[in-house]
Amino acid sequence: MLLGPALMLAPTTRAAAPEATGAAHIVAALKREVGASTAYSEVRFSGLLDRPLILRGEMQYLGPGRLAKRVDTPYRERTTVEDGSATLQRGERPVRRLELAQVPELDTFLRGFSALLGGDAAALSRDFTLRASGDAARWQLELTPRDARLARRIASIRVDGAGSEPSCFRTREADGDESVLLVGPLAATPLPVRVSPQRLDALCRGIER
Amino acid sequence: MRTEARRALLLGAWLLALAGLGAWAWQGLRIGTDLRSFMPPPRTADQALLLEQIGEGPGSRLLLIALEGADSAQLAALSRGLVAALRADARFEQVFNGALDAEAIPPHWLPYRWLLAPTLDAHALDAAYLREELAQRVEDLASPAATLLKPWLARDPTLATLTLAQRWAPPKAPAMRDGVWFARDGAALLLAQTRAPGFDPAAQREAIQALQQAWAGLPGSDQARLVLSGPGWFSVLIDARTRAEADRIGVASTLGFVLLLLLAYRSLPALLLGALPVVSGALAGLAALALWYGQAHGITLAFGFTLLGVAQEYPLRVLSHRRAGEDALASVRVLWPLLATAIVSAAIAYLAFFASGVPGLQQLALFTIVGLLAAGLATRYLLPRVLPTRCRDVEATPGLARATRWLDRVPRPRWLPWLLAVAGAVVLWLAPGPLWQNDLAALTPVPPELLQRDAALRSELGAPDVRYLLVLEASDDDAVLALSERITPQLDALVAQGVLDAVELPSRYLPSLATQRARQARLPDRATLQAALASASADLPFRHGLFEPFVDDVQAARELAPLTPAAFARSPFGARLASMLVPRTHATLGLAALAGVHDAAALAHWAQGSGGKVRLLDLKAASESLVAAWRERILQALGVALVLLALTVGVALRSLRRAWHVLAPMTLATLLVVVVERACGISLSLFHLVAVTLAAGLGLHYALFFEQRPRDAADARRTLHATLVCVLAALLVFGLQALSTLPVLRAIGLTVALGVAFHFCLSILMARGRP
Repeated sequence: MLLGPALMLAPTTRAAAPEATGAAHIVAALKREVGASTAYSEVRFSGLLDRPLILRGEMQYLGPGRLAKRVDTPYRERTTVEDGSATLQRGERPVRRLELAQVPELDTFLRGFSALLGGDAAALSRDFTLRASGDAARWQLELTPRDARLARRIASIRVDGAGSEPSCFRTREADGDESVLLVGPLAATPLPVRVSPQRLDALCRGIER
Repeated sequence: MRTEARRALLLGAWLLALAGLGAWAWQGLRIGTDLRSFMPPPRTADQALLLEQIGEGPGSRLLLIALEGADSAQLAALSRGLVAALRADARFEQVFNGALDAEAIPPHWLPYRWLLAPTLDAHALDAAYLREELAQRVEDLASPAATLLKPWLARDPTLATLTLAQRWAPPKAPAMRDGVWFARDGAALLLAQTRAPGFDPAAQREAIQALQQAWAGLPGSDQARLVLSGPGWFSVLIDARTRAEADRIGVASTLGFVLLLLLAYRSLPALLLGALPVVSGALAGLAALALWYGQAHGITLAFGFTLLGVAQEYPLRVLSHRRAGEDALASVRVLWPLLATAIVSAAIAYLAFFASGVPGLQQLALFTIVGLLAAGLATRYLLPRVLPTRCRDVEATPGLARATRWLDRVPRPRWLPWLLAVAGAVVLWLAPGPLWQNDLAALTPVPPELLQRDAALRSELGAPDVRYLLVLEASDDDAVLALSERITPQLDALVAQGVLDAVELPSRYLPSLATQRARQARLPDRATLQAALASASADLPFRHGLFEPFVDDVQAARELAPLTPAAFARSPFGARLASMLVPRTHATLGLAALAGVHDAAALAHWAQGSGGKVRLLDLKAASESLVAAWRERILQALGVALVLLALTVGVALRSLRRAWHVLAPMTLATLLVVVVERACGISLSLFHLVAVTLAAGLGLHYALFFEQRPRDAADARRTLHATLVCVLAALLVFGLQALSTLPVLRAIGLTVALGVAFHFCLSILMARGRP
């Protein structure tokens, strides 16, 4: 009899905690080694476009605040983010360089990505509110920007994964555009013929293979 | 008892009249602080430009702002807050913190980008160019930067607006962090341009106070520090410092003065009443300025009050020369011929300033002449009627008799003045350093640590140099813009060679009409553009019809009338250009701000090759030539004044010999002051000249009264008493000023104090009659 209320109390008092620790746990498990790379395919849906853009290439985590992303098809491009600036090389064109400080929104966004791959939950929660759902076998982590300026651009970022392996990064922009980055085994999976956000969502959640 | 009542009544009426005069002058007189209204009319084109640009040039209205003491995110937020607040403030023309604000451009101005941006100089708006651009936009859309680009894409797929925004950002921008400028030491940086001229301390103070209020109103600003720099801030700072120190010295010397007079006359009423003539003179002078000019410059008043210090001697003479039991009115009547000679000759001498043609000096003359006359008349007709009937004869002051006897016996070799004059001339010839100090700023120096910080901020911000300007001269506005376009590549080369860091030419903001028309002519018509677009985007995924706004914009741009500077001035970005174009009767001058001039000679040499169309204006040199011209006028005025003075004294004394006795010591003492200061390596400035003039006015009194043959031994003692009180008072007041840390106060104080000492000694040596 005495145990009853205690047992009932336990989950309620900790109601908020498991989720936060869950999110922190997931992020911590996402930590990649410096230099780790993964192939990806990215599908981009935009109101400005008739059909989605599909890119394939490789992403690399180069340490805190440093990322590299290579596009192999349909064109060649290499983006490197480090020391607060992004350099972009497309084909044979001259290198373009962008000081991220000039576009703080972009800076926060890229910082978030780098924190995810660095497994740095503390850094991540400075810029985003984290919400985890699912279980260890198949989880979702949702990041919502805290900064109002970023929120005007990015509605949310959702990461799907299993165990310590992420499978999808979905970025929903404030204007309804969406980008889905499939990594790991999913990167090599052939995409549905009539690719749509719904189908990709199912793919990411592991409902459809 | 009836006389007492009459005295009180008269005193009451006098005070009432003074109050009324003061109130009227206060209301009617506007006090200007803009340095330019005190300057002489310009003679050269450079001087004219300087007078316009001093304070109004792009560099001098710029406030450099650093925010420090918090983390960069906080500072960036504060920087954005400050910009928002100041952009809403009419006292600021523009404010920058580095944030690229393409969205601030009103939509109806957007089609003008085709005329303003150099995009079409290198490309035609054809299928090939569009294909290249659109393909890149597809790739941009796939990049993380897509979110920034999307709002613009339909209307501006070639990103011409961005090109323009980058072109208009300050030439050499500092590093960015969190979207705003930051210095290497972690301070957030901003630039604010005031509407008020840089050298108008009052207007600058207002703008700076508004800035500080805006800052204080920002949340979190109490955790950070606001640091200001720039000419406007310096002029406010120096103004405040000079005022504070002058006030401190003023309080000390007033206390000393009161003590001295109490000691000399042992009567409080005498002391208080003795102040009334000078007060009357000052108020009458102010009222005259209000009536005549309606306004006066702050410097006129400061100089005027200094020169009016002579008038304090009038009541002191009355107090000292009054015998025991003598009616004050009777003693003034005896004194008056001599006093009137002094007053009238000084007033006539100051007439010379009227002829100078410099408004500031004319005001100074009016104020001083009216002030001296009013103080003199008040001393003659009002003061004796309100002084208490009983008074102490100062003749019995202990020690005075002994001092008089000693002076009577002191040897006075006739060759001594000549020796002094010759020795003085030699010293003057050999004295180190330049005779004249033309740099007015040297007298009101900015503390070196502030200058260092200013230089550091300026180089971080790439803010324009205050000293140099490039002047482009052409027949009209558009010709200036065309000239500016022509010299752009040459200046770019000079920048590349390291001659200077950056230049901000007028054509950066607005191309010439010809260039705009040429760009317009390259814009395709609707059908051509649509065909080119269709072909360019054939295999690109863009939504059909996405670029209609772009096509509309290009069509609108084809119909636009090219922008003239006047039309451009009405745009949100026009203020900058407007301040760079200066209309002249038959020409327009274009002003290009320069940043980080490393080799002025090379720049000047390049400008010489332009055949007079482009000149390097050295504002410092121009201002020094202006000061030199100004001083020339004052010297001429003083020369004429001396002649007038000699004539008046000669007529009044009706004897050339007596006039010589009065004027010779005065002249020699003035020479000796200059000799001593020059021997110390001091270069003379306008302030020294005014101080020398005041000292000469005082010296005239000493000589006049010493030269007068005393009626008896007691009278001789009274004359000595009066002169000693006057000399000690002047030494006290100006000696304290000579100890000031501020060169301008030191210049005046030292010169007058030295002058008074020399005038006193030489008057005794050369003017004082033997009993």
